[in-house]
Amino acid sequence: MYAGHYAAGLAIKASQPKAPTWALLLGVGLLDVLFGIFVMLGVEHVTVTPGVSPGFSLDFIDWSHSLAMSLVWAVLFASFFWRSGRAVALAVGFAVFSHFLLDWPMHPADLAVWPHSSVHIGMGLWKTLPVGWWWVELAFILAGCTYYAARSRRLGTFGGRAYWACAVVVVLHVVNSPWLAVAK
Amino acid sequence: MSSFGFGLLCLISFTLPVPILAWLDRVRSKR
Repeated sequence: MYAGHYAAGLAIKASQPKAPTWALLLGVGLLDVLFGIFVMLGVEHVTVTPGVSPGFSLDFIDWSHSLAMSLVWAVLFASFFWRSGRAVALAVGFAVFSHFLLDWPMHPADLAVWPHSSVHIGMGLWKTLPVGWWWVELAFILAGCTYYAARSRRLGTFGGRAYWACAVVVVLHVVNSPWLAVAK
Repeated sequence: MSSFGFGLLCLISFTLPVPILAWLDRVRSKR
């Protein structure tokens, strides 16, 4: 999942407007930011698989994406916001952990329970629905963005250009489609 | 694409939209 994470970030912003938007948006993608760094450092491993959905095989992503480490990263990132209040810290922490929750249905069983665990989970929509996953994620994006836009209109304290923000998320999803993705 | 390139692409893909979306979320203060 890619753009869907941002839809989740916007929806979390709508439910906890006091949380910093940048923190929520960085939080929802934090596991993949770490994954990118770990892959470049050679700590985690990926194989590009052209023509085979989703275009790559995540061979070892336990330090960034395992269940246990997702919780660790969530608590660690949230701790930076403890001074902003418990509700804000919880929202930021949930933003980080939401990444794992949303990856679960999409990923094949490559999400370890803890680093180097033999138990891996993932429902595998990327594999079972090589094109359909995109529509599933689009439905999630539309739901998240609708909630964000509606709450921003009602409260008026965030979402100055809510519809543009939603449009950007949809464009990111289109760019990540099975038809256009760089790593397809 | 090399795995290093894939990691870099992932890093950029998950950082670049953050300032853009955060900026669009801002509400301009009324004067």
